Amino acid sequence: MLKGKVALVTGSSRGIGRAIALKLAEQGADVIINFFRRRQAAEQTAKDVESLGVTAKVIKANVGDPEKIDEMFDIIGSSFGRLDIFINNAASGLPRSALDLDTKGWEWTMDINARAFLLCTQRAVRLMEGRGGKIVTISSLGSSLVLPGYVAIGVSKAALEALTRYLAIELAPKGICVNTVAASLVPTETGMLYARGGQQGEGSSWQTTPAGRLVSAEDIANVVAFLCSEEAFMIRGQIIIIDGGTSLAPFSLVSKGGGH
Amino acid sequence: MSATEETIKDIIVKIVHCDREVLTPTSTFEDMKADSLDMVQVLVALEDEFDIEIPDEDAQKFQNFGDFAAYVEARVAEKGNA
Repeated sequence: MLKGKVALVTGSSRGIGRAIALKLAEQGADVIINFFRRRQAAEQTAKDVESLGVTAKVIKANVGDPEKIDEMFDIIGSSFGRLDIFINNAASGLPRSALDLDTKGWEWTMDINARAFLLCTQRAVRLMEGRGGKIVTISSLGSSLVLPGYVAIGVSKAALEALTRYLAIELAPKGICVNTVAASLVPTETGMLYARGGQQGEGSSWQTTPAGRLVSAEDIANVVAFLCSEEAFMIRGQIIIIDGGTSLAPFSLVSKGGGH
Repeated sequence: MSATEETIKDIIVKIVHCDREVLTPTSTFEDMKADSLDMVQVLVALEDEFDIEIPDEDAQKFQNFGDFAAYVEARVAEKGNA
């Protein structure tokens, strides 16, 4: 259980971030809800977190901007004085092929998806120093598999995964666990944007997994909560794949796979 | 034309790389040839410039440059009166 812990979940106004915020709150953690563009949604998440009997704090910050990251952590420092859990979830990107990518789109994606993980971790560690902590970042199968229109995000997620390994070793002596959860398609608003841009029609492989359904935001939140528990203390720098078996047997999906 | 509207135009022209003449009250974001990233960057730049907030929930309602400029001017005026 996470009672008394303080957790920051970036990009938690909706989708996977929101599910993680609620799961950590359910386990007793106070949750800082970071958002960039959707204030109403973030405030709804905060309300739902508070209804679970813990404290919620909403902080607006574009994690692609180093100054905004600093401002966010300054607020966390002055409000809570510490941080036990940092979930790097915020992500962005445009559905583009490699040949259509421009430097603006590339930098935007890299800054929010990869650089922010480094910069936020540098600040988070200062608030975890001496007590240990848990850091989990959210990746996707696009870091190692080729998904349509996903090149910039896929590359940024690959950077995130490499960074996870380096940070896990560098921060291990401080008692800070760093891991990644990498999921296949999750049918959130953003996830479906990519699915529709890629494969069309009934029976397309994105509609299911060998396990018989798509991965849900709650599936990810459950694993994130486990990685934030003391039971996961010896898991360091790992990429935990949550995909219902998709990456092991992609061709089984053409015949719509089995499962329940 | 107000100073605020001038600044909005400066920011759009700089980020979207469109001609300033395209920015009339009835021009749409398609007329500016702005993609979704351009629009987010314009909103963020305006938020920083004027120290206001333009959440997506509001931004999704803008039909044209006129709506957009009027909204930003109203937010800036509110802030000035606060």
